[in-house]
Amino acid sequence: MDNKLIPAYIATSAALLGIPMNTARVERVAAHLQRTAAMAALLESADLAAHDELAEIYNPAAFSGNKHGDCAL
Amino acid sequence: MKNIAFDASAMARAIRAGEVSAAELLDTCMARITSTDARVNAFTEKTLVRARQEANAVDARRRQGEALGPLAGVPYAVKNLYDIQGVTTLAGSKINRNHPAAVADAFLVQQMKAAGAVLVGALNMDEYAYGFTTENTHYGACHNPHDLTRITGGSSGGSGAAIAAGQVSITLGSDTNGSIRVPASLCGVWGLKPTFGRLSRRGTYPFVYSLDHLGPMASSLAGLALAYDALQSPDPLDAGCHALQVQAVGALLGSRPSGLRVGVLGGYWHDHAGPDARAAVALAARTLGAEADVLWPDAALARAAAFIISASEGASLHLQDLRDHADDFEPLSVDRFISGALQPADWYVRAQRFRRVYRNKVNTLFKDWDVLLTAATPVSAPTIGTEWLEINGVQQPCRASMGLLTQPISFAGCPVVAAPMWPTGAGGLPIGVQIIAAPWREDLAFRAAQMLSEAGVAFVQPANGPCALDAATMLSTRDL
Repeated sequence: MDNKLIPAYIATSAALLGIPMNTARVERVAAHLQRTAAMAALLESADLAAHDELAEIYNPAAFSGNKHGDCAL
Repeated sequence: MKNIAFDASAMARAIRAGEVSAAELLDTCMARITSTDARVNAFTEKTLVRARQEANAVDARRRQGEALGPLAGVPYAVKNLYDIQGVTTLAGSKINRNHPAAVADAFLVQQMKAAGAVLVGALNMDEYAYGFTTENTHYGACHNPHDLTRITGGSSGGSGAAIAAGQVSITLGSDTNGSIRVPASLCGVWGLKPTFGRLSRRGTYPFVYSLDHLGPMASSLAGLALAYDALQSPDPLDAGCHALQVQAVGALLGSRPSGLRVGVLGGYWHDHAGPDARAAVALAARTLGAEADVLWPDAALARAAAFIISASEGASLHLQDLRDHADDFEPLSVDRFISGALQPADWYVRAQRFRRVYRNKVNTLFKDWDVLLTAATPVSAPTIGTEWLEINGVQQPCRASMGLLTQPISFAGCPVVAAPMWPTGAGGLPIGVQIIAAPWREDLAFRAAQMLSEAGVAFVQPANGPCALDAATMLSTRDL
């Protein structure tokens, strides 16, 4: 993320989410987002393959009324 | 009355033996809170009526010869993100004051009640658990009993301070990125962050669904084990509770541990630990016979991923309040929340994908080691209001840096016992050592902790310094 673009990114995306902002807050949030962007850049170096899935996987609850039991159909 | 040590197991034994009543113990506890909390600011709510009822019920059961629970009559308190029936769950915020009172106790409060423990109140914390210092603007900073000018750590700062101040011998906290281990370290008390998914989180105010853990803190290792065993139970109603059975550790503490394979974390962990923290780890390592430096994989990446996931999930949880009244948030964290709301989705997804790969790498370590050691905080407690501090020649933002050594470990979900150590160079202030085990092996962390405790190098001690609470009457055996 280009740091010079961050204030504009913040103003636009905050408006999209409906979070009111003023200039001072944009500057403060930009400082945080820049730090997080550096961490995200670090994480880009992680060697992830296409099959490396999310740590959290949705787990459908068993449906007790299914006459076939808990097996996936 | 008899002298009874400030230790939950000793208190429970004394009550069972009829040496003291639960009501008398409660009176002593409340008197201590009354005489100290104006300076410490650990409590945000006291539940005296309820506590009196619970203590009287214990005494009645004893008089009738009924069996008593393992914590019968022992006073305790909880971080104010735990639901307490009839009390509004503040989670350190001003915004939640408008919420209705909780209709039921949190699951873990129910477990403590079933064990006979007596709830005396709710404890100060960083707003919505998003902080490591408990410098809460709405309810005031929590003060470290070992030096009242210093922070307690956070976000479970009240939970650490209440024990260090001799107010209660057991507290419950939460740990998303280090929020039990950091205050345990800075306040010099025992803390346990169990395996992710070990204890039910139902009935507590969340911070980060993917990372939130709950756990106990205590004035003794035996008390920590008693509380942990009482808290355990599978809970199918909490999607984040993965435990299928109770695996008690209390009975293990009576046997002599041997043959533990103990390593010391090097690299990232050494680089981010100041001299006093390194000294504490070195003493623990010598005591446990640890020699090898162990390279934990991808620690910096794990911290980055934990940071991103925390910001994103935390912000999503509070998005409507950020829209409607951002100015009512804690000034120290509101801009971080907003920043988290604006993070690109790719950052979050990549962090969650990395977490799975990381978990597998970390688990591989434990083929060679039973427990691994590192400091819980880079330094001892900084002064309240500190913005920057230097760690090994590098300037770090003080508040965030308190979690440097804890975040990568909780991100892997490993259980950790934080052992209170007292390095000589720290001017009488404590620094905790993390004893890390493989997921679901809390027993191994407790065994190593027992060795440190029996060797006399890890312990809770009275405050002793010019700015301490009151050295003469703290924590040691007291007249009850």
